[in-house]
Amino acid sequence: MSHDNSSPNFLQHHFHDVDQQYETAKLGMWAFILTEVLTFGGLFVAYVVYRSWYPEMFVGANLLLDVNKGLLNTIVLITSSLTMVLAVWAIQKKNQKLSLFMLIATFLFAFMFLGIKYLEYSHKFEVGQLPGEYYSYMGPEISHLNNPHIFFSIYFIMTGLHGLHVAIGMGLIAWLIYATAKGNLNSEYYTPMEMIGIFWHLVDLIWIYLFPLFYLI
Amino acid sequence: MSEHHITPLKTYLAVAGTLFFLTAVTVWVSYFDFGSFNIVIAMGVASLKASIVALFFMHLLWDDKKNLTMFVMSLMFLGIFITVTLLDTGFRGGVNSEVENPINNRASFYDSLPLTDTHGHPVDEHGSDHHGEDEDHH
Repeated sequence: MSHDNSSPNFLQHHFHDVDQQYETAKLGMWAFILTEVLTFGGLFVAYVVYRSWYPEMFVGANLLLDVNKGLLNTIVLITSSLTMVLAVWAIQKKNQKLSLFMLIATFLFAFMFLGIKYLEYSHKFEVGQLPGEYYSYMGPEISHLNNPHIFFSIYFIMTGLHGLHVAIGMGLIAWLIYATAKGNLNSEYYTPMEMIGIFWHLVDLIWIYLFPLFYLI
Repeated sequence: MSEHHITPLKTYLAVAGTLFFLTAVTVWVSYFDFGSFNIVIAMGVASLKASIVALFFMHLLWDDKKNLTMFVMSLMFLGIFITVTLLDTGFRGGVNSEVENPINNRASFYDSLPLTDTHGHPVDEHGSDHHGEDEDHH
């Protein structure tokens, strides 16, 4: 089965038309987002259960995190979400140059997020606020609390998995930069950019929950 | 594909502005103590922000509603996951009062940890090495 000459070259032969191809890709992406919600969901359950068991410890341990760095990372990530969505908007408006610029900005904001995260992690490694048996911090603010290593176990696993998503997202955005610069994506066909955008907004959405859970309450 | 919905630029900018504003609000209210409502307020604001991101940035508002259905269903399953788990862990004491709280109140390795200052350096109160095997702290 083949399409007639008027069908665009990005349309794969097993799809009826470009809209069906686009909608199918989007449905698949949302199925993937569903599995992501459930993956992080298990960790959110761990947080809720341990918080209900150790309420004072969680309130005491979150004071050890740096709110300013968390807030800065929130702002960086929301800005990167905006530049990502503007990249899609620009390519819809046939402005490939602006789209490329927005993608590069998104990549740099993602890098900045990981840089700030690195500063936070390296401080915690230095003072021994580490997960599980590696925990060794007994400072005056926390020495009266039971088991703060549980808080840091959950903190490192949740922010670590989130950080891994940021790193994967950077790889995907780097590929988008390459594809856009080469001219493979345009206002007729920008499906990969839309899908990676959805992934990137999910990364932002998860951080929107992690920030208050760990830094604020 | 030209018939795809193109969201106006000012919608995106307004959405981002709202997200920044709500971030400021959630940090600001965290300096006040509302007791057990701290969590409710923080999660309420976070959910509002998350809904805005999903509806506008992830285009769910203009998409075919099957995508929104799928996303909401994943959140419903997460709700069931949390509720059913808490029904277990929150009410264990109802049957057997000695399992109401975790059995070990403090993990045993804390007994061998030296007190530290805010930079993680040991504070040598007792003038001796706390890692010694022969010491007994109890």
